[in-house]
Amino acid sequence: MEELFEQLAYCIEYGKINKPSPFPPDMKDKDGADEITQQLLNEGISADDILQKALIVGMEKVGVKFRENKVFVPQVLMSAKAMDAAMAHLKPHFANSPGSQKGTFIIGTVEGDLHDIGKNLVAMMVEGNGYEVIDLGTDVKAEKFIEAAEQYPGAVIGLSALLTTTMNNMEEITKAIKSHNRNIAICIGGAPVNQDFCDKIGADSYNPDPQGVVEFLNKTVE
Amino acid sequence: MQSLISDNIVRKRFSVEELQITAEEVESLARMDENLPSYAGFIEDELLGRLKNASIQGGYLIEPAEVVDETIIIEGNNFEVGPTIAGALSNSEQVAFFVCTAGNEISERVNELNAKGDWLEAYLVDVMGSVMVETAMDKLQAIIENECVANGLRITNRYSPGYSGWNVKEQALLFSFFPEKFCGITLSDSCLMHPVKSVSGFIGIGTKVRYRKHACSQCNATNCIYRNSKKHCDFSHLNG
Repeated sequence: MEELFEQLAYCIEYGKINKPSPFPPDMKDKDGADEITQQLLNEGISADDILQKALIVGMEKVGVKFRENKVFVPQVLMSAKAMDAAMAHLKPHFANSPGSQKGTFIIGTVEGDLHDIGKNLVAMMVEGNGYEVIDLGTDVKAEKFIEAAEQYPGAVIGLSALLTTTMNNMEEITKAIKSHNRNIAICIGGAPVNQDFCDKIGADSYNPDPQGVVEFLNKTVE
Repeated sequence: MQSLISDNIVRKRFSVEELQITAEEVESLARMDENLPSYAGFIEDELLGRLKNASIQGGYLIEPAEVVDETIIIEGNNFEVGPTIAGALSNSEQVAFFVCTAGNEISERVNELNAKGDWLEAYLVDVMGSVMVETAMDKLQAIIENECVANGLRITNRYSPGYSGWNVKEQALLFSFFPEKFCGITLSDSCLMHPVKSVSGFIGIGTKVRYRKHACSQCNATNCIYRNSKKHCDFSHLNG
């Protein structure tokens, strides 16, 4: 069984979606995330074990490689696609056992900013690590974040910005959320943001890469 | 309010063919490394198929300008561009306002592919959109430069609201110099452009201005796909 977990984690790490998918070349004609996940379920392995022992392991490896500039956006998207193929088998099982996910993460690009590639990568990586993700999209106002936080109590909020000039909006949104409920954890990310800025605006965590967000969530969410 | 719209606005349309975008260029900017399968066929199919009739267009107008400290004054309107851009435009006697878009077809296609879960393909189309609007803008800039050179003038790099300390909110003032929905571009309440793959900004003009060949070190867009690439973006950025 351990071998199948390893194979599945490898498929996620390298983006082997299913048997017909030609990538990666060294896995041509071999089973991918789709088939191996089904095989594990057929052998009576729980969806949660598959998620924890294979899918999250694979996504973590991709996250670390992305942080270290060993892989780039396309490779992460290939991994996310393989993850999605596996999750299609697992989701019906999770739907029957609510609470099996680790927690909820609300994410959006702040008002005044339409850039979404970084936000999407974080969303995919967080989802791949066992969290429910509520993606509010781009150009999101404070009220929308607060509304979502009320709908999903205990959720962590992630704010993304790419423009230096929308960092101000990130500050205003953080203050609005905190004044509404100071217990809502907020993490921030994006090219112009850093730890000093995070401290200044009163956010709880700054993460320069998606894996950092996952690590923050793992520490924060009970 | 007195109309700021000039009657000397130049408008140009561009076809995908004339932009001569290659799959190799798109794959390189998307950081598709050699371990990944080639998506050249997909990129070419998109450029010749779905995106072939993308509404790529742009325009500009040239106005007298004065740079005072960190402000550019045009027709009595103050653009607070910050020290970096004001410094680069400091000897400008005129400014060319520009807008350019790759059209809404890009976003529509990206959304369509994302909805199908084809995230990598969606990302590649997004990069194609960036290349299309920047290449079209290069052509528009070349037209402006030719016009200037013919009159013994030189141009600076191009600069966009949202970058290098120029607040994106000033996009509203910049757009007031153009007719409403010029080139099909509109601004949101947050002063962001729709279609998403659009650029706007200033180019300085004068006898003593200079163009910087490698401008990335002065720019804060650290995750710009053109950053330090052979073909740099010349400082204009999407939806800045």
